[in-house]
Amino acid sequence: MQDSTMHEVGIMESAMSLVEQHAAAGAGRRVGRVVVRIGALAGVDNQALRFAFDVVSKGTLAEGADFEIEDVPVTAYCLGCEREFEGAGGDFVFACPDCGDFSGEVRRGREMELSRIELI
Amino acid sequence: MCRECGCADRVPFGVKVLSVIAPKLLRSAAKPEAEPRTVEIHTSLLAKNEDAADRNRKDFRERGMLVLNLISSPGSGKTTLLSRTVAELGEKCAVVVGDLETDNDARRIHRPGVPVAQITTGTACHLDAEMVARGMESMDLDGVRVMFIENVGNLVCPAEFDLGEEIRVVLLSVTEGEDKPLKYPPIFKSADVVVLTKMDAAEALGFDRDEAVRNIRAIAPQAELIELSSRSGDGLEAWYELLRRRLPAGES
Repeated sequence: MQDSTMHEVGIMESAMSLVEQHAAAGAGRRVGRVVVRIGALAGVDNQALRFAFDVVSKGTLAEGADFEIEDVPVTAYCLGCEREFEGAGGDFVFACPDCGDFSGEVRRGREMELSRIELI
Repeated sequence: MCRECGCADRVPFGVKVLSVIAPKLLRSAAKPEAEPRTVEIHTSLLAKNEDAADRNRKDFRERGMLVLNLISSPGSGKTTLLSRTVAELGEKCAVVVGDLETDNDARRIHRPGVPVAQITTGTACHLDAEMVARGMESMDLDGVRVMFIENVGNLVCPAEFDLGEEIRVVLLSVTEGEDKPLKYPPIFKSADVVVLTKMDAAEALGFDRDEAVRNIRAIAPQAELIELSSRSGDGLEAWYELLRRRLPAGES
């Protein structure tokens, strides 16, 4: 669904500036692992993000680090039934399993965050 | 510790412990923090933009301005709709236009009394909150009640970039096909309003209006839906009504 990888490169650049800040605080130790959390609705393509990591981490303390993506599924909320439900399936139509109404209220699944790094 | 003859068993306990600990102590003395260390961060990768968007939001509120972020594919009628809106709404408007190159769109919208700022993003495929704030610096926003931000034509990247807007409008023209909402769910999921444009051409194109509406309702049930044609003027009143209804309370 992605039109370009430009988007992921920009996101990775902000991730890398965070990584470098924290690595510098760790007395310049090398980074062995970078873990990010990406929601299914974040509009980020995992493959493009991996590619962006390889490109953007070159020449930094994180070059060659393991890059791990934790996928966050969508959790939607049904206003009628007052319940959360997991937005399963790849079509992004979230229908409440109880009443069948479509939900536009996304509680989780837009995440795009740097979770943690491992210094080695 | 000899595994061959089992002599370790006869070594006094204290020596045994030392023989295990000493190498570790030596290693850690030589290289402090040699063990891998996990640093928990949990920071949004868009934190910088989110902060800038919050500043914009506050600024918009203080000015008493309704701000809309218009997002669509290239060529789905944002500029035409805005040209008519700024002329006909009857409230003082301003427009910030984002484009990869050229200021053609800004010139099309330009008319006396309507401040327009052009942001040329170069290679960036979306506007971000800081670009909008910078674009506004050149504008005289005195008395402006409604500001439209015309985002770069793109249905993917702008989804994640909050500009501080009150209303996010996603436009879909009848030339693009009924299934577009299914192809670009993140942007439609984030819409407050979905506008179907170029409705005057729907019939000629064999556009299945009911199917398009079904798809929009399934993907974006939270969004208000408006169908209009900026050429014939049909449906524009509903659009203007929405804008007036959402104006911040205050002088009008």
